[in-house]
Amino acid sequence: MNVADYPDALPGPLAEFQSVTKWYGAVIGVNDISVTLEAGITGLLGPNGAGKTTFIKLLTGQLRPSLGNVLVCDAPARSAAARRHIGYCPDADAFYEEMSGRQFVRTMARLHGMSAVESRERTEQALAEVGMLDRADRTLRGCSKGMRQRIKLAQALVHQPAVLVVDEPLNGIDPVGRRELMELFRRCAARGQAVLVSSHILDEMDELADRIVFMGRGRVLAVGTLPDIRAMFAGQPLQIRIACRQQRELATRLIPWDQVLRIELSGIDELLLQVVRPDDFFRQFGELIQATSFDVSRLETTDTTTEATFQHVMSAAAKF
Amino acid sequence: MELDQAGYRTWEGQPRSPWWGCLSIVRVGLSLIFRRWVFWILIGLGLLNFLFHFAFIYLKATLSVQNENIARFLDNYKVTGTGQAYADFMFAQAGICALLLAFAGSTLIGSDYRQGGMVFYLSRGIGKWHYIVGKLLTIAAVVTIVTTLPALILFIEYGTLSNSFQYFLDNPRVLCGILGYGTVLAVVQSLLIFAIAAWVPRTVPLVMTWLGLFALLKGLADAMRAIDGNRYWLLLGFWDDMNRLGRWCFGSLDPNRIPSAGYCLAVLAALCVVSLVLIVRRVRAVEVVS
Repeated sequence: MNVADYPDALPGPLAEFQSVTKWYGAVIGVNDISVTLEAGITGLLGPNGAGKTTFIKLLTGQLRPSLGNVLVCDAPARSAAARRHIGYCPDADAFYEEMSGRQFVRTMARLHGMSAVESRERTEQALAEVGMLDRADRTLRGCSKGMRQRIKLAQALVHQPAVLVVDEPLNGIDPVGRRELMELFRRCAARGQAVLVSSHILDEMDELADRIVFMGRGRVLAVGTLPDIRAMFAGQPLQIRIACRQQRELATRLIPWDQVLRIELSGIDELLLQVVRPDDFFRQFGELIQATSFDVSRLETTDTTTEATFQHVMSAAAKF
Repeated sequence: MELDQAGYRTWEGQPRSPWWGCLSIVRVGLSLIFRRWVFWILIGLGLLNFLFHFAFIYLKATLSVQNENIARFLDNYKVTGTGQAYADFMFAQAGICALLLAFAGSTLIGSDYRQGGMVFYLSRGIGKWHYIVGKLLTIAAVVTIVTTLPALILFIEYGTLSNSFQYFLDNPRVLCGILGYGTVLAVVQSLLIFAIAAWVPRTVPLVMTWLGLFALLKGLADAMRAIDGNRYWLLLGFWDDMNRLGRWCFGSLDPNRIPSAGYCLAVLAALCVVSLVLIVRRVRAVEVVS
């Protein structure tokens, strides 16, 4: 099939894993994975050995699945046609150190089949997008980690891929740079591109990802938005911090409640609770505050974050 | 979804065939070699040898106009103009090129495996074979620039500075010899250095393996022939096999001398097949686990 048969942004899934399994000899990399990637930012999370790298390599066509199919814009991921729809920004940044950033990006553009003129134009645009236009003539050896990261992103964006795969993109980037790159990913998503971000820094995902794919032990454990995933795990204990001047009295009233698993006194006026069935707890707690004279100045949940959900998903997976 | 997309333009172009990517790989590879001064020492050595021959031809042409006896005297040395002379020149250049490849192999090929640069190639719109062909063409281009191209320039210079262009018509075998020997050197050396550098990517072990392959096997071949008396042992010396095949292209190889060009061709062809298998296995290994 011709590359032109695959338009840049198709309605529906831009990439699809269909019951994909990958073995490395006797070791299983990923096990019966079925996931679709659509326009928007998808976070890929999982501990070491969860199968994230295998997932990414299968998606970018570097690995052949042992079973199942990986499709990118309806083409098999290992075909040249599919690879032209994928922009891959790997974690490793080893390339020819003597090259300038501009030459590197241009070379990658030409490997995608662009002519000299097109590659030059697209290189400038990609460098502008990552904010490296004025610094791209430095050799890669002379670039800081943050600059190298941006150059790698530019080479992944240079051919305007339908699916952008970025592995640990914010490593070594300063806070301002992080903000800029997050904006860049959002721009890509707004254009209709599917952006898959693999990261260990879970806080990044809270801010960045529209959807999360949790992986563990070679399987996809959960897929969806963070609230969706939290709803799937209604029994997940929730941490709640309450600031109240009558700290001990309030603790005494809360101890008998079924929803409260643990109470910890913190500081002079703080309570740290671990509760289940949070909806029930908040309703009952509201009634208690209305009926009594407890002076509650602050109430907050401390672990609605990706990290807390991730920990819970992982502990749930360990039971299987 | 209300982010500013000002300045963003979609690329409307049609991607060309992935085989065009091979040319990009060649361009990158050559720029890597010609950018390092270390390699220029060896390239300079080859350039010196070329300039010596170039100057000698010019000198001979100039003196011939003034005194034909001097020209006849210089012809005795067979420095240039004959198939034998071109074969000798290319043999010397090939030695320099082999040294250059020994050191450049790590940069051109080894670094892709040692530092994980392969991922940038294999995630592009090119396949495994495009990568392999691109790298082989890069090495072949280096070999051609150092051996075949200078020989061709000398051939043209010699013919142009002769009294007539009859030299070109009288010596088609020399031209075939230059192209043939150049092809043998380019094909065998590119496959061999790619295979070795892919499996032994670090510079020092690569240099030792590469030079050991030629020097040690030649020594072994000579020793076995001396012990056994069988001249077919000489086929083990791959460097000499290339030389014999090259001289056969020039028509200056004694057809009755063992081993013949056919045997050398068979050995080198087998070596190329083994190298290609090793290359494909190595690239596939990176694709499976890296």
